[in-house]
Amino acid sequence: MREKFLELAEEELQAVLEQARHFEPKAIAKLSEYCYPKVFGYIYYRVNDHSDAEDLTGEVCLRMVQSIRQQKGSFKGWIYRVASNVVTDFYRRRAVRQVVDPAADSVEDIVDDTDETGHLLNQAQLKEGLSHLTDEQREVIILKFIEGYETEEIARMLEKSNEAVRALQFRALTTLKKILQKEKR
Amino acid sequence: MGKDLEKIFDDCIGELRNGGSIELILQKYPEHKSELKPLLELVQAMEQLPKPEPTAGAVSAALIGLGEEIAHLRSAESPKIKKRRRSVFGRFFQQPRLAWTLSVAFALVLMFVGISTVSANSVPGDILYPLKLATEKVSFLLAFGSERKAELRLTFSEQRTKEIKRVLQKSGKLDEGLLNAMLKEAQLALEESPNDTSAFFLAKLNAVNTYQKDVLESFRPRVDSANEKIVNRAIGVCDMRGRWIKGMMREEWDEMPTHRPPATHQERRHSQKPQWGPGCDWMR
Repeated sequence: MREKFLELAEEELQAVLEQARHFEPKAIAKLSEYCYPKVFGYIYYRVNDHSDAEDLTGEVCLRMVQSIRQQKGSFKGWIYRVASNVVTDFYRRRAVRQVVDPAADSVEDIVDDTDETGHLLNQAQLKEGLSHLTDEQREVIILKFIEGYETEEIARMLEKSNEAVRALQFRALTTLKKILQKEKR
Repeated sequence: MGKDLEKIFDDCIGELRNGGSIELILQKYPEHKSELKPLLELVQAMEQLPKPEPTAGAVSAALIGLGEEIAHLRSAESPKIKKRRRSVFGRFFQQPRLAWTLSVAFALVLMFVGISTVSANSVPGDILYPLKLATEKVSFLLAFGSERKAELRLTFSEQRTKEIKRVLQKSGKLDEGLLNAMLKEAQLALEESPNDTSAFFLAKLNAVNTYQKDVLESFRPRVDSANEKIVNRAIGVCDMRGRWIKGMMREEWDEMPTHRPPATHQERRHSQKPQWGPGCDWMR
């Protein structure tokens, strides 16, 4: 069993953020240690390739430092928004490249996630299923079941009501279940 | 009705997270059982998926990139210093091409210094030292298996030894915090090592321990009396640890098939003496 990554209580996070705004290296290191695994998990399910997910996570950390002074409101919500923008830019860049270079069209095969543990679902299947959801639904599913947040936290992060998040969650899971069942057949 | 179901479903997820079983949870809502059961099974399957993990190399690369960015942002942040510098080097910076060339050169130097400092030379007090420690931490978290973790601990302990040396050369002072960290990492390496520790790992442990003791002995004459006591205590710990490691190595060796010691010079030349490990010539 692997150790858990760094977790920070809200007060501690605010203190670290305050120092990070002064570009204190120690605080930025701590913040990166805290954010990297979360952001990576979020991006991993939104792009096909593992190394793309790593590169984009690095880019998110960089953007975080560059615009930390402009950050307001919920930090977690903000960092996931930055991550979401980075992913959107990535696909936009790729779309442009695909027009110019048809060879770039080949979307890489989903990484080998052969399920050795006998789980009902593996990462590749989930990734595939998530790609059929709307952006909002996918975001809620990743934050809730991959990142492990509660509905109320997600609502705060996405600036939505609890009811809206619950509705997105229910619809997303219903669709996901149908897609996964169809794939199994 | 729809909203009720969504709320019920969310509550069920909460109960599932608290360790409840799907069957038990749905007993409360028999009218929704057929609809909610497959969804809760999907939730359970998703939450049991292993967390995606980045490679240690990618994390290090990201942290190094951040180090460079901090250095860049900090240098861009001090306008007062810039103004003063501009007055000193004003004539140079009146020429845009020269200013541009110098800026690029400066950025390149900064980048180079950033990378090399993070990778090897940073010590406590340096801007990039916390990033170095964070990189170590993350690579440790990503390491799999107790032997690999123990090896990493050993590497960190060796790093701390090098840092003690560097700090001593730089400031002439003994960094007690680093000394404690060095001993602690070595201790943790021993604790992390698996029960069936390999002879190779023990030999490595012994080599690092000997190196640390040598380093401590080399700077004992250079520290003041208060620090000398600390150094002596640390040397004592190394001695004790060295004895323990050698004992372990002997045990390891005893478990191997033994040979009768060759009696004659001729026999000795032809005996199959091990090239490394406990009992070989260089270990004595």
